[in-house]
Amino acid sequence: MSGFARLLRNENDIDFAKVWKRTLTVSAVLVVLTLGALIFRGLNLGIEFEGGASWEVRSSEVTADELSSALEPFGLSDARIQKVANELWRVRGETDSTAQLEDIKDALAEAAGIAPSDVTANAVGASWGSEVTAKARTALIVFFVVLFMYISIRLEWKMGVAALVAVAHDIVLTVGVYAIFQLEVTSATVIAFLTILGYSLYDTLVVFDKIRENERRATGLDSVTYTQVASFSMNQVLMRCINASFTSLLPVVAVLVVGRYVLGAVTLQEFAIALLVGLIVGSYSSLFVATPLVAYLKEREAANVDRQISATKRKSAEVDIGAALDEADRSRSVRSRARGEGHRVTRGTGASVQAPKVTVTKRRNEAPVATKSEGERAPQGQIKPRPRKKKR
Amino acid sequence: MLKNPLRALLGALVVGVGLLVWSLSVGQEPLLGLDLQGGVEVVLEPVDTPENLALATEDNLNTAVEILRKRVDAIGVAEPDITTQTGGGTNFIIVQLPGIENQDDAVALVGATAQLQFRPVLLDLGDVGGLQALTEIGDFGEEITNGGPDVSDLNAGVISDPNDTPADQSAIFFTASQEEGGPLGPRMLVGPTEFTGTALSGAEALFLNQWQVQVTFKQGAEGLDLFNASARKCFVEQPTRSCPFGRLAFVLDGVVESAPTIQAPQFESRNVQITRANGFPEDEARQQALILDFGALPLAFSDPADPGAGLVRTVSASLGRDSLDAGLIAGLVGLVLVALYVIWYYRLLGLAAMLSLMFSGSLLWVIVSYLSVSRGLALTLAGVVGLIVSIGVSLDSNVVFFEDLKDHQRRTGNLSSAVNKSFPGAFSTVFWANLATLIGALILYLLTVGSVKGFALILAIASMLDLVATYFFMAPLVRLMVSRFDERPEMFGIRKPTSYRAETAEEATA
Repeated sequence: MSGFARLLRNENDIDFAKVWKRTLTVSAVLVVLTLGALIFRGLNLGIEFEGGASWEVRSSEVTADELSSALEPFGLSDARIQKVANELWRVRGETDSTAQLEDIKDALAEAAGIAPSDVTANAVGASWGSEVTAKARTALIVFFVVLFMYISIRLEWKMGVAALVAVAHDIVLTVGVYAIFQLEVTSATVIAFLTILGYSLYDTLVVFDKIRENERRATGLDSVTYTQVASFSMNQVLMRCINASFTSLLPVVAVLVVGRYVLGAVTLQEFAIALLVGLIVGSYSSLFVATPLVAYLKEREAANVDRQISATKRKSAEVDIGAALDEADRSRSVRSRARGEGHRVTRGTGASVQAPKVTVTKRRNEAPVATKSEGERAPQGQIKPRPRKKKR
Repeated sequence: MLKNPLRALLGALVVGVGLLVWSLSVGQEPLLGLDLQGGVEVVLEPVDTPENLALATEDNLNTAVEILRKRVDAIGVAEPDITTQTGGGTNFIIVQLPGIENQDDAVALVGATAQLQFRPVLLDLGDVGGLQALTEIGDFGEEITNGGPDVSDLNAGVISDPNDTPADQSAIFFTASQEEGGPLGPRMLVGPTEFTGTALSGAEALFLNQWQVQVTFKQGAEGLDLFNASARKCFVEQPTRSCPFGRLAFVLDGVVESAPTIQAPQFESRNVQITRANGFPEDEARQQALILDFGALPLAFSDPADPGAGLVRTVSASLGRDSLDAGLIAGLVGLVLVALYVIWYYRLLGLAAMLSLMFSGSLLWVIVSYLSVSRGLALTLAGVVGLIVSIGVSLDSNVVFFEDLKDHQRRTGNLSSAVNKSFPGAFSTVFWANLATLIGALILYLLTVGSVKGFALILAIASMLDLVATYFFMAPLVRLMVSRFDERPEMFGIRKPTSYRAETAEEATA
């Protein structure tokens, strides 16, 4: 059976820990490269950020020279004239008054042989641009701080650090593509960058949730290391990650393809390129940047170092982690029953025995227990299945 | 997980379809932003001088918004959206006029740096014709031309640019036509500004035997004294050289709105009546009062096309329409591709996911339409892209559940129990991840400006609906499907284990 067939059946068993070092290196190199491009080439910022004026003229007949000569009376002979899409021209220059903006609009319309109302005109003052940029920057900082706190409370601060490093990695690489290829950054692209923030974070959180779930199952199991648990979790969520990014990418690819054949999709394409890069990088970073970082941070904890030592002693590299976790679940359920806690743990009422924080996961983690002990529980059948649902 | 899947599903369907039918029957639909239907956007920024910035208080900005709204209403815009934006030390006014036809007029109307000025009439081309007038005012000619426009310009048809003409110089302006929105009337030569609209505390249309306009000046040196100084110059029975015809013109944005004759050299009351021989028509009296009351913005704004400040954006209707079409086509194509893929991969589960997507999609339509009608939320291109992206994200939450489901099925071999066991965990994962998206979207909504705001709102609504659809629609539907086809996991895209896994499983049991 091919690896792909096994993947389809969730039977993949890849040792992610082996590739992590390499992927982290690759990511680090890419980040350095793109940061270099950002510093040395800079971004090709649209008028939204720099201030200035632009006009969009749609005509299949007009040439750049004709447009240029229409601009000459206004002293804009050095204006940048670009063909941004099939039949769509974008002219970028400077104006000093609303009247001039409108006059140039009329002149361009005349040159292209279209109605002035079919020309799109923009003029943005530098202060408005800096206002927009400043606000976006503030929003970004608040975003990072608040979500770091959120993840720290919901999961733990090490995961918060790793998730935000991954998000930053995604943003830097995506913005870097714009710097390397000198694509114009418009307000549309900024929105795409922000979308990537959200998407990347979502993706990483789903992965982390799985790691945490498995890590709780592995409590007291000193034969497997944190890294092994993380790698095992990666295998479990791999197909989800592939499917999720594929289904997210399909519409974006549709936008790009449609943009080539349908008029007026220039802005859409500006979104789509950023989204395409960002979604791919975002999925990649959840598995290959965020998770290794968490594993690295976690392995320095004293308890996890002990686990490493005992795992090396037992030479447990060969261990089937899935089976070990199942076994841990089973023995825990036997132990809890022996203590007379029985099904109350499953219902979450036994949570007072444990730290209150774990209530939710406790219930979920015990789920397989209930399945395994189906037969044993039969005599007390009436109490068992329903109360769990009532809770929700 | 909900107790009775069938009841939950029916409940969700009734609510969803009910809302959709209600929304469609009252004719609510999403408002399109100006990048999708064409239109004008202007951002006004106060002129950057200390005196002017001191005027940029919240009250003054709100007054300016009211004035702009009245001006915009006059040219007939379906859905004007005029708001203030307060930022780090600076305040902006954002005017959005989607779907407006006469874009140039709108830009001129909103973008013009309006100021109401009171100037003596030096020559009215409506009263005296052309060259003859020049000889009649011969004595004044030198005075006028000294620092002002050449009177011969009157005949040449030259009009002063209100933005370029200093207030203390003479200027030639058009007269406003009596008809609203009609062509501009004859030209008028007016002298230097005597005082500005800040001297007025208000104006209203009154009916006392006939319609008239009552202007109220501010007390003392700020108001009435200024007017009385002009009245002395202009008193019609003793006209002076600087006010030869005894008329004082109200000039708004370089257009002479009206030029009444001053009937007394001194006014004692702050309330001054403007009358006309046969009375004003009612609508004209109201119009005049409006101009005097609200005609002048309480502070000066920079020309929005100035490279230093503000913003002007005009989007042609055809380009907007094309963008919308392209967005819709791309969205549909994307949706079909996604549907093909998930149904191929997850079979019945994929079908459930697509139905769930349709469910949340129709709720999204209802909410966006409702917010469009009630709060003026406009769907921009950024919002459309947000929608396209949310297709993938909401499928993601289904995929989390499906993969968990398959995992449980693989371990226990029992599909029905796998559904019950995997949903709570998967939902919790999705819930907390969506909450993070929601927090992010809210931060963006609260802290950014312009199109990012609309996008963030759509994203926030979509991620909440994702949870609703997953919990109340998708999960019950999957449970129903599973209970119907319990014995056929392949219908849920669960493939038989490969030989490799089967062997190891056998070994384990042995």
